[in-house]
Amino acid sequence: MSRTTLIIKNDIKRRLKAPMATILFLIIPLAMTALIGMIFDPGSGGETKLPPIQLLLVDHDKELASKFLIGAFNQKEVKDMFQVTTVDAASGEQLMKKGKASAMLVIPEHFSDDLADQKPTALEVVKNPSEEFLPGVAEEFAATMAVGLSAVAQVFADELKIIKSASQLELKDISIAQMTPFLEMARVKIIALQSYLSPLLLQLKASTTTKPGETAAPKGFNIFSYIMPGMLIMFLLFIVEAFMREIQNERADGKIRRMMFSPLSTRELITARLFGGWLLGVLVCFLAMGVGTLLFGIDWGNPLLVFLLVLVSCFWCAAFFGMLNAFFKNKNQAGAFASPIILVFAAFGGSMLPLEQIPQGMRWLAQFTVNNWFITGCRTIIDGGVPYLSFTVLSVSGLVFAGVAMVALQRRLST
Amino acid sequence: MQQKILEIKNLSKNYGETVALANFSLDLEKGEVLGLLGPNGAGKTTLISILSGTLRGFTGSVMFKGQDLFADRNLRNLIGIVPQEMAFYEDLNALENLMFWGGLYAIPEKELKKRARELLVVVELSSRAKEPIKKFSGGMKRRLNIAIGLIHKPELLLLDEPTVGIDVQAKVSILDIIHGLGQQGTSVVFTTHQLAEVEQSCSRIAIMDKGTILAQGTLAELIRIVGEKEIVEVSGEFSADAFSAIIRRSDGNGMEILSVADHRAHLAFADSERIPAMMQHLFKHHLPIADLKIKSPNLEAVFLKMTGRSLRD
Repeated sequence: MSRTTLIIKNDIKRRLKAPMATILFLIIPLAMTALIGMIFDPGSGGETKLPPIQLLLVDHDKELASKFLIGAFNQKEVKDMFQVTTVDAASGEQLMKKGKASAMLVIPEHFSDDLADQKPTALEVVKNPSEEFLPGVAEEFAATMAVGLSAVAQVFADELKIIKSASQLELKDISIAQMTPFLEMARVKIIALQSYLSPLLLQLKASTTTKPGETAAPKGFNIFSYIMPGMLIMFLLFIVEAFMREIQNERADGKIRRMMFSPLSTRELITARLFGGWLLGVLVCFLAMGVGTLLFGIDWGNPLLVFLLVLVSCFWCAAFFGMLNAFFKNKNQAGAFASPIILVFAAFGGSMLPLEQIPQGMRWLAQFTVNNWFITGCRTIIDGGVPYLSFTVLSVSGLVFAGVAMVALQRRLST
Repeated sequence: MQQKILEIKNLSKNYGETVALANFSLDLEKGEVLGLLGPNGAGKTTLISILSGTLRGFTGSVMFKGQDLFADRNLRNLIGIVPQEMAFYEDLNALENLMFWGGLYAIPEKELKKRARELLVVVELSSRAKEPIKKFSGGMKRRLNIAIGLIHKPELLLLDEPTVGIDVQAKVSILDIIHGLGQQGTSVVFTTHQLAEVEQSCSRIAIMDKGTILAQGTLAELIRIVGEKEIVEVSGEFSADAFSAIIRRSDGNGMEILSVADHRAHLAFADSERIPAMMQHLFKHHLPIADLKIKSPNLEAVFLKMTGRSLRD
């Protein structure tokens, strides 16, 4: 058995004898994934539903188009998504200031007239600044409605004028003879509209392609597969860091000095430590992923790609902390610096917050974290893709760190 | 003529402006147990670090079995080191530790296991071989530390303060092991600042201070340096200056000042009949003396004479 293998075997044996620290670091990400997942998805693993969006509606128009718009919110599917409360402008503003709604939709005065007259008009969406996601959905929905209404107004401009002029007449002034052409035109249009809208002529149908011989399985969004990669890489960093910090402990208690007195070379020792940290990370990662599959039904995707991603990510972690320990003077310094570094990685790399939630101006920092590349890599594989960029960035930077660690640690351990 | 196993010539090492070793020279013969006696900061650990190859930047030469110790890496495999720290894995048991440390010397597994079991008998740990080291007492850990240093059958064993922090019984056990090693032909250098330890177990003693050897020889040879004098240790609530001032006022015939420090001083008298007169002189000048001890010439007296200070200072 080579000396390098002997050291790796000894390190793994020691960890198996006292596994509590590693087990704890393994349990925490699983527990946090379960906790966060259950908060956002009480159904545990099924299709995720958003809470109804609280929408305030201020109608300054109260005419045909605004009624049509309000009516749209009463459609079954839309009603599930939005909880609409019609308010006046003043109370709407008050409620928004108190954060009682995600958004407020304001229909301007003369909205119907302007549409009928083909004049430009605007719907206003006031968003709640304390919410990020739900006001965005309301805005998107209103934008879609605006596009739809614009199209209807432009295509059916003549018919709208007739309807508008009819609505301005007194009932006693309208004779059956006068009404007949309008009614006839309306009947024709309603029939035409029905043929367009009920049922919809054009529908969106989503499907997933399958390989020959495989059956397509319905694949819903599993929130745990969204949370777990972030948690896993954060605690993987803690596990590998604790392993690599052993170099400092062994320097302090004379073990390295004793090893260096044997025929063992510093190169063999550093190789053993880097490889040991890598191996431990890979084992823990696969264990956590396996438990994640069993507990949360996570489908990690192509096993070969997952294996490669875990390999490069754990190698990166071992090389990075190997390098840091070459520059730390002692174990206290290593302990003081390593945890904040891991937490900063977690904060900017997407372990604590989804990357999309990180302020735009700080999102570029994610590129310097292993968390970002691991999380995006996992998501790409889960979505059926190949994370070429994650593989490249992690393996190249990992090799650079390993090279620096080898040179700097040799210098550190020989003094 | 005995074969010289170790020849150190003019070894010097500085840490900045601090001199750790200054032209240090020492010879060691096969099977010899040398006690390197010196106070803290004398340069003992620096010497062990240089010999173990873990400290560079020194001048001078170290020959091991007639060859430059640092020219051939394999020569170092014939030397064992027992550091002051408990340098082993507490989460493994004694046997596993011996197997690991021995494995670094690429000893075949079967042979290594046999050697480990033999050593566990030597250090009286065979019945605890598979117990976690966390449960070991300080003395047991020290004995295991020595066993690890011996796992590859070294011809020279270097021990850095092997008895620090353990009880008297454990010390006796370790000193017996060291003594036994010498009898079996293994050369041993061990550093200590415990006079009794070197008196008990060493065939030769070297006194070092400020990075150099002040005197060396057998116990009897060293005691002859002091001569047939009575040693008086005076202790009390006095300062070194006050004691020296009073002593200067005495006639001082036949008396030698070995060491003077605050609260403690050592005097050597060629004629024991002069001791009462000196004590009277000290009392007359109201020196607050709390205790007075009269001792026969011993290693402590030699050390005091050579270094001018007690090992405790």
